[in-house]
Order: sequence, then structure tokens, then C-alpha cells
Amino acid sequence: MIQSLDPRMNRLGLAETAPAAAKPALDQFETYEVFHQKKEGAPFLYVGPVHAPEADLAFLFAKEQYSRRFACTGMWVVPTAAIAVTEYVGDTESAYDTLPLLPRTATPAPTDESGAEEAAYAAGEEDYDIFHLKKRGKAHQHVGKVRAATPAGALQVAKAVFGEQRPVVNVWAVRSAEVLHSDDDDRDIWATTTEKKYRDAISYKVQDRIEKFKAENPQA
Amino acid sequence: MDPRLDLLYRLADDQLILGHRNSEWNGLGPILEEDIAFSSMAQDKLGHSLQLYGLLHALGEAEPDTVAFTRNAPQFHCCQLVELPIGEYDFSLTRHFLFDHAELLRFEALATSSYEPLAQVARKLRGELKYHALHANTWMKRLGTATDEAIERMQAALDFTLPYALGIFEKTDAEAEIISSGLFMGEDVLQSRWLENITKVLSQTALTLPDLTIATPVMGGRHGQHTEHLQPLLDEMAEVFRLDPTADW
Repeated sequence: MIQSLDPRMNRLGLAETAPAAAKPALDQFETYEVFHQKKEGAPFLYVGPVHAPEADLAFLFAKEQYSRRFACTGMWVVPTAAIAVTEYVGDTESAYDTLPLLPRTATPAPTDESGAEEAAYAAGEEDYDIFHLKKRGKAHQHVGKVRAATPAGALQVAKAVFGEQRPVVNVWAVRSAEVLHSDDDDRDIWATTTEKKYRDAISYKVQDRIEKFKAENPQA
Repeated sequence: MDPRLDLLYRLADDQLILGHRNSEWNGLGPILEEDIAFSSMAQDKLGHSLQLYGLLHALGEAEPDTVAFTRNAPQFHCCQLVELPIGEYDFSLTRHFLFDHAELLRFEALATSSYEPLAQVARKLRGELKYHALHANTWMKRLGTATDEAIERMQAALDFTLPYALGIFEKTDAEAEIISSGLFMGEDVLQSRWLENITKVLSQTALTLPDLTIATPVMGGRHGQHTEHLQPLLDEMAEVFRLDPTADW
């Protein structure tokens, strides 16, 4: 049996000679992209990916990955494959400029005239959420919804609605039906994180001891 | 014995021991994200035990560290369910599911306890407990409807774990006073609500709840009778503390 300094490993009773099983070339779960809302009313911001076999599990994982240390008030999870992405452009340009213009006849959403809305849905259009990145190194931010029949169409509509803003270095569009939203009834699951200071590395005040150790051990 | 002490020791010891057990998965979890989530919940449980030991300290008991790290197995009031080794992930998930459903309902009820400091702690923990139950439900539904192997293993884990889970609801001599003083609604009510909730989740899977009328509940933990697994856990948990109990951390 494998003998380790970690007693937990010894308890697993792993055979010394166990050969490493050959892994299939792609044995990863698919990825999901996670967005969080820092406080009520704030736009949702991209925080990072998680691997998961399905959206519900992705949500579970996202909650622990991305709200353990920083409180938030809501979270969205989107399959990575469901996101339509524009090109990245320079920090002073606009990614919207890389998109073709809408055909003249198309009407940009959002509109609240219910007649137009019903007609759009009847014609096979759906809601898309639009996220854009204002600067490299920052996070994609939710800017609103548009209605379109395809992801490419949604980006075009987004250009008509949000294209004046700049700089915008990259734009994402995702069918709203693909976005898993945290449940309003479950708001309280976000509420407790602020009292977890003991989880932060910053709680371990060791700098003075490190300095002392260094002073006493100049060779170390 | 003050019924508050009786109740608090049971609650706190459950949290500490299961928190420690579940932390043993840290770094060994099935995938990175689940490893982080499970470890994070284990840390929550240690945090909960600290809150409860804090209440005990306020009632005149020793410091939380002393209470957690210097007692031996017969002085612990946790149910035997929480002290069992982590086994394989099917068992650990099943224990998490059965325990955390009871825990969520218990603390929901404690939020209106006549003992206000405990009611306050219970209200504070609510969000975390809700997430723990959500986590458990999602995995039970996922694995309980997946491949034949997954269903078989989860069913075997459920059959094995259920008698231990019934030990969560073991009563002590203080039970009547705990209920009459409005401290807590009591173990019988808790157990029936728990049964209702776990049945609801299991009915969405291919798993069957074992027949409770023929299951023999594993009792004794609340009265200091434990399995052979608790003392080694305590020795390992307190190993560093006992090197120098007066060390300033």
C-alpha cells in the first residue's frame, strides 16, 4: 500500500503498483461561464468559468467558487458553448464596429409596444442577453436584452442599441433561455458570506513573524 | 442538567465532527469544483460549531477550543452518523443529504427558539444551511437518475446510512423540558418533517427509501456511546492543539 505522510491517503489503502489508467483524450466536463451581481440593482459582471456536467451543478459550483470570499446578491450561469462572441479589438476601438449593420427593415429591440413584441416572437425571435467588455483586464458586463432570431442577429441588434458606447473591446450574446438565474426565493444563500473573515488569508497576521524570522535567519 | 446545555452540546458536536470528517475530502474530491464546494461546506460546519460552542461558553462552559480539543469520545454527544469514516463519495454524499436535511429543518425551527441567543445564531446560519441542502439535493437527483452503477451505489449507500441517520433523532432525558420550555420543537416533529422532505427529493430519483419500520435506528451517540471511529478522529483533530494547548494562534 502507498504510505504517505497524509493519514487520509493511507486510509484510502491505495495499492503501490496501481497503474495510472489511460485517460480518454477529452475527459473534461463542459464549461459554464458565471456572472455575479455585487449588490442589488447593479449590472451582472462576468467572474469566471466552472466545469460541470449540467447547469444545476454548475450553479452549485459557481456559488462556492465565486461567492465564498466576496458577497453578492445574485448569480447567473451560462453554458460556454451558448455564447456568441465578437472579435476582440484594441482598447480605444469598438467591437461593435466589426459587426455588419442591421438590414434597413429590421427594428432594433428592446421595445415595449406589445404588438411589435408579439409579432417578433411569432416570427421566431427570442430574447438575448448582451454583455460587453469596456477594457481588457476588466470583466464583461451585462448591458441589456435584445430580440433576434439568431445569435449573429442578436449581436447586430446589440450594435444598433449599444453601439454608440465606446471603447468596447468585445461583445457576448447569449439566448436568455440558456441563462440559469439564481432564485429570488433563495436570496438568503448569499446573505451570510460577509461574516466569514476567518476564511480570508488576510486573517492570518504573520508578516511581523516572517520579518522576525528573516532577521534571525539571514541565510534562509 | 440545564436543557440548553444538553441541546447545545448535541448540536455543536454534530457540526464539529461532521465538519472535520467532510474536510478529509479536501484535495481528494472527485473534481476540483466539487472539492472546493464540499470543503467549503465542511468549513461552514466548523464555523457553526464555533458559534454553538460560543453559546455554551456564555453559559459557563469552557472555551470553545478546550471543549472541542480536550474531551474524549465518551464525552461527545454527536450522533454516530457523523463520526463514520468518509468511505467513498457515494456514502459521504448520502450522509450529507440525510444529515443536512435534518439540520436545515432543525435550525429553521430554532430560529424561533425561546432561547434568544440560539434563535439569533439559527437565523444567521439559515442561508448556508439552505445551500448545503440544495447541494445535496442536486447530487442525489443527478446520481439517483444517472447510470445503473450510480443508482446501485447510491441505493446501497442509502440502505447502509439510513439506520445511522435515524440516530440523529435520539432523545435525551431533557427532551420533555426542551419542548415545554419552548427551546425546540423536539426530535419527533423534526424526524417527521425530515422524512417528508427527503421522501420528496428521493421520489424524483430511481432510489427507494428503505422501509423505516424494519430499520433499526443506531442510537447511543447522544449518550456518549460511540463507534470505534470517533476516538481516532479526535486524536487526529487535536494532534496539533495538544502539542501546546497554551500556544497563541
